[in-house]
Amino acid sequence: MSTLAIELRKEKRTGVIPVLLAVGILGAAYAFVNFLVRKDTLLNLPLAPMDVLLTQLYGMIMILNMFGIVVAACMIYNMEFKGNAVKKIYMLPASVPGMYFCKFLILTILLLIAIAIQNLALTRIGMSDLPQGTFEMNTLAAFAVYSFVTSMPVLSFMLLISSRFENMWVPLGAGVGGFLSGMALATSKSGLLLIHPFVAMLKPAVTMSAQPDSAVIIVSMVETIILLIAGLWMAKHLRYE
Amino acid sequence: MDYIITTEKLTKKYKNFTSASNVSLHVRKGSIYGFLGPNGAGKSTTMKMLLGLTAPTKGSFTIDGKHFPNDRLEILKEIGSFIESPSFYANLSGRENLDIIRRILKLPKSSVEAALELVGLTEFGDRLAKKYSLGMKQRLGLAGALLGRPPILILDEPTNGLDPSGIHEIRNLVKSLPSLYDCTVLISSHMLSEIELIADDIGILNHGRLLFEGSLDDLRQSAQQSGFAAENLEDMFLSMVEKDNASRKQRAQL
Repeated sequence: MSTLAIELRKEKRTGVIPVLLAVGILGAAYAFVNFLVRKDTLLNLPLAPMDVLLTQLYGMIMILNMFGIVVAACMIYNMEFKGNAVKKIYMLPASVPGMYFCKFLILTILLLIAIAIQNLALTRIGMSDLPQGTFEMNTLAAFAVYSFVTSMPVLSFMLLISSRFENMWVPLGAGVGGFLSGMALATSKSGLLLIHPFVAMLKPAVTMSAQPDSAVIIVSMVETIILLIAGLWMAKHLRYE
Repeated sequence: MDYIITTEKLTKKYKNFTSASNVSLHVRKGSIYGFLGPNGAGKSTTMKMLLGLTAPTKGSFTIDGKHFPNDRLEILKEIGSFIESPSFYANLSGRENLDIIRRILKLPKSSVEAALELVGLTEFGDRLAKKYSLGMKQRLGLAGALLGRPPILILDEPTNGLDPSGIHEIRNLVKSLPSLYDCTVLISSHMLSEIELIADDIGILNHGRLLFEGSLDDLRQSAQQSGFAAENLEDMFLSMVEKDNASRKQRAQL
């Protein structure tokens, strides 16, 4: 608990917290504006109203979330490298894996808050703009959990990369590369490509159904845990030289 | 003799370069140990090994009876350190930086103000660390090392970047630490005249090898016996290093 409190204090003036909160607010604003402008077009699509609400708006929201995660993960470790602060941490009786885990926790909670804000907006739209009796709270909640779980491999991957490279351009480049290659591979039917964290995150955005895919959920969870364990192991064993 | 730091043939090898070779140090409890050597002699590497920043290739060391790596956290609890350049969170103020260290060390809040005052940074405590001058960053690094009055201090070139009055101030501070806080100081510096004024014992390192270890008087005696100039530490140091470099060259030619 004290490590988490220390990590939160370190975040002061880094922009990590505002970035992910802004992503949540921007995603919510995009959903409102999009539905306000394209309401009739969207509702006339040959899809169930809940599928329209969840899949047609998710593409842009997901990209915002993805870039939010990439930028926040880069910043959360950049402040450790900027003034060589991480060297001091290695010289103190502090747990470096504990620090890594707390950074993971902070990003996860912030992403959760961002997704909650976006889904609150979708709930509001669903209750006021969808045809009477078509809004299903359970479907929305399930899709929110689905989008959160499928976003976690990218978060876990980005934190791992940013913890290993002092130069922030390397993880940032990995994030942009991951996004571009993910975009190119997301529509592929091959299940093997789900190992690519960005493909897993893009999956809910390229389907036309709001029903979560259990295979994607399982792969995402396994990937998140493996990348987290790899990050913790590296934090413990690969020291500053 | 009551040694607080002892190293046993500590060696660090990189691919085709040996940074420290069989270094066996003996630092007496409550003393100031001056660690001398030209650039690249292996002083910082040895200090980094003592702090667990880099793993020894060979050899071992004990600090206050504790062994590395099993007692790493216990060892670090007893050491205040400052290695090479100052380390700080650029996004935090000097006071906030020290507060992070204080929380990790679980010290009372008052320790931050005490450390700031000790290094003369009280009035600049709320300024962002990235806006500090080099000398102020150096002082902040020292304050971080002194926080909580640790029984052992490992200081690598602590006066780098300080102006003459700052050097004088830090020198007096380091000199007073063993009697004030009952601590042991292992300090490296290029400024030989400075080490001469504060150190009880000296270790001279060249190309990773420990050429001499002992008190200043021992060094003087040894220098006289070897026919070196023994007027001041600088002369003795230069003679010793030059002789070692010459014999290395000779060995290399053979």
